[in-house]
Amino acid sequence: MKFEDIKQTVFDAASELGLTEYELFYTSDSSVSAETLKNEISAFAYGVSGGACFRCVVDGKMGSASSELITPEEMRAIVKRAEANARIIESDDPAIIFEGSSSYEKTNMPEIKIPGAAEIKEKALKMQENTYGVSELVTDGTQSYVFSGESEFRLINSKGLDLENKYKTVGAYVQAVINRDGESEESFESTDKLDDDTTLALSKKAVDGAIAKLGAKEVESGKYDVIFSSKQTRALLSTFSSVFSGRSAQLGLSLLAGKEGQKIASDCVTIVDDPRREGCAAQTSFDGEGVATYRKTVIENGVLNTLLYDLTSAMKAGRESTANGQRSVYAEPVTIAPYSFYIEGGKKTFEELCATVKDGIYITALKGLHAGANAVTGDFSIDSEGFRIRDGKIAEAVKSFTVAGNFFELLKSVEDISSEVTFGLPSCFTSYGAPEILVRNMSIAGK
Amino acid sequence: MLDKKLIEEILGVAMSSGADFAEVFAERTRSNVIRFIDKKIDRVIDNYLSGVGIRIFSGTRTIYASTTDISREGLLSCARSVAEAFGESKGALSLCLTPKSVVDIHSVKVDPASAEAKVKTDILKEACFAAHDHNEAIVQVLGNFLDTEREILVANSEGLLVGDKHTSTRIVVNSTASDGNENQSGSCAPGRSMGLELFELFSPKAVGEKSARQAMVNLGAGYCKAGQMTVAIENGFGGVIFHEACGHSLEATQVGVGMSEMCGKLGQKIASDKVTAIDDGTIKNAWGSVNIDDEGTPTQRNVLIENGILKNYMIDRLGSRRMGMPMTGNSRRQSYTFEPTSRMTNTYIDNGPDKNEDIIASIEYGLYAKEMGGGSVNPLTGAFNFSVREGYMVRNGKICEAVRGASLIGTGSQILMDIDMVGQNLDFGQGVCGSSSGSVPTDVGQPLIRVKNITVGGR
Repeated sequence: MKFEDIKQTVFDAASELGLTEYELFYTSDSSVSAETLKNEISAFAYGVSGGACFRCVVDGKMGSASSELITPEEMRAIVKRAEANARIIESDDPAIIFEGSSSYEKTNMPEIKIPGAAEIKEKALKMQENTYGVSELVTDGTQSYVFSGESEFRLINSKGLDLENKYKTVGAYVQAVINRDGESEESFESTDKLDDDTTLALSKKAVDGAIAKLGAKEVESGKYDVIFSSKQTRALLSTFSSVFSGRSAQLGLSLLAGKEGQKIASDCVTIVDDPRREGCAAQTSFDGEGVATYRKTVIENGVLNTLLYDLTSAMKAGRESTANGQRSVYAEPVTIAPYSFYIEGGKKTFEELCATVKDGIYITALKGLHAGANAVTGDFSIDSEGFRIRDGKIAEAVKSFTVAGNFFELLKSVEDISSEVTFGLPSCFTSYGAPEILVRNMSIAGK
Repeated sequence: MLDKKLIEEILGVAMSSGADFAEVFAERTRSNVIRFIDKKIDRVIDNYLSGVGIRIFSGTRTIYASTTDISREGLLSCARSVAEAFGESKGALSLCLTPKSVVDIHSVKVDPASAEAKVKTDILKEACFAAHDHNEAIVQVLGNFLDTEREILVANSEGLLVGDKHTSTRIVVNSTASDGNENQSGSCAPGRSMGLELFELFSPKAVGEKSARQAMVNLGAGYCKAGQMTVAIENGFGGVIFHEACGHSLEATQVGVGMSEMCGKLGQKIASDKVTAIDDGTIKNAWGSVNIDDEGTPTQRNVLIENGILKNYMIDRLGSRRMGMPMTGNSRRQSYTFEPTSRMTNTYIDNGPDKNEDIIASIEYGLYAKEMGGGSVNPLTGAFNFSVREGYMVRNGKICEAVRGASLIGTGSQILMDIDMVGQNLDFGQGVCGSSSGSVPTDVGQPLIRVKNITVGGR
């Protein structure tokens, strides 16, 4: 079925049921990827997916149903199921089908060329060859992975809203495995560019990262000054991002509830949420409810300016939506999530930041964050890897220690920040960015 | 789900460029999630997944394609793209499939798909209000009622044509306790491969109360101090330690490509004599059970470790080719969009020789991990980290004050050797395991065990 036919079928079925406020959200995606093992393509995959989600308001309650089976019968069925589901809802939260924002800013996505299947395979093989070429220590288990994807969104409703967005992504990962005299180490790196210079640098970074870990020692338990790498600061921000949700705050699940306008972080911390970050492949001018997106400063010099809201949580809070009610695929309910969410860089280089640490630890890996961190309490206790910092310089590799703390305390105790912000690969429109951060006197459990 | 003739045609086209094996996996999954929060039902997710995955092999190389377009043209085009990715077409092959039937050992008494919504919302509300009623300090309860019905069909170029239907039901109750300054959480989340008769095994009230009680214990607890100590890990979800630290290292996904510390160790002693570990996808109505795996192979009871000796791995079709060993019915995937790989089903450490009371009495100073949280592991090195969801200090053989924020840190090979006491109260806990083929339901399990020395993270 073409989108126009789906729309007609769904809207007709809605009218027949006597519905007056309803919406159709439709997504379609395609992807191609190649993975290597030793010197050949071990796996190659294509995917075509997509589906439709129907939402409607019945007696002030929102009902929803979705399907990947795009047939006239099934499209009529989701309308009926959504209507029935609305009748189960008890919540008094406002149910809103949005009439549209007054204007929508255009996205400014970089021109991305989607490589053909043969080119994707060739690139993956080339990356694998490059990775093995970096060092003789590189061994089997080393993998390269190249992917491309295209996504399309349509949001259309009974109030005349009709929005459309498309984006393309490409990217690559390298997992380098090395072995020296029986000691194995690995390192993982990713990129959103596929040009030869970038992928060559990626292979080198992965192998160098794994080699640097060789001979890692345990550390003595105690209090240390800690610098979190840019990647790990990003990981922490991602793990605790739900504390910035206005909905979580209203439910008592975020300790930032009631803290808007207050100082919650140290002066050097500024966090921005940008739906159209320059260079980002996945941008959008509207959220999953059709609200026009915009750039906002969430924390400004330590002060919490705003939490993130969708239409429902905003109305409950008596304010406007921040257009963070996202839906990444058709079946996903509206979920409050950031776009490019990043800590702004400071003034010092990484070397200058290190120079202020006499005796500390540079943390380059936090393992199992999903298990060792609790966004409701802010507590984390994470198995980590990294390097000692001695007299202001990076020294020997260390491993098997746990860094423990609390995210809310961490925000307040960031003493300084480096200048270079790096971003992770986006997951739909969400990506996290951060520089290195310095936090004094953290608990480290080692031997 | 699909016409036999059409499947034969798809397989023939997929094989047309010289692959030595082709497989079609079709899926229809109905899933329903009802959410409770702020003392009210606030959301229903109601989705229908429908699609097909086509895979070909040449030796140990694979090509996979998936599509939601299940029209004849859509499927043949998908099959052609798989074949073209492999090489030039030499003409479609002619194949003949023999339908095979499956014995359903996970019978469903009360089908959740045809139950009135009110039956489910009543159960969910009873559980969540029980949590609220447990203590005034319980400030928020988040509950989910989940049921799915997954129909699959697997056909391959060896002539297999088999289908199965799998129903599961689960309730998840997360409680948050607050004293005004800080929050602590507790959880209870039983699930089974069955229908609404799940609640004959677990009363909704008990589920809610357990979740709230745990949040209250943590609210009153101080932080656990870090250090090396003896740890007793309780049954049920405590088995996550074996799942993460050892189970993943025994999957062909890792072993078949030399990425596991367990490579080449068959027949060797890898654990203490008291450890016997099993993966069993045939346990009646268990959360991680299935009649057939996602390649159509019947599941089995697979002894992985017997009295400390490594006996077997968990092996899917590709792993079987890579390792030259038979398949074990462990090939799984979240949905047709994922290429399957070797995964766990219900994986546990079996009962041992020690009495539970002797285990606690034997600890002079240590930690009693009453309930474990999630964790992660590096399969290459076996290094792991698990959070302790509910823990208590043990002094002079007695369980003392509750502590929070503890984690257990070590390596798989070391902890297997260091399990020096194994108790007798084997039980299971439900999890959702994430790996390259997506998230699949798995049971973890064990009796109470003692690890003589392990790093406890805290602060």
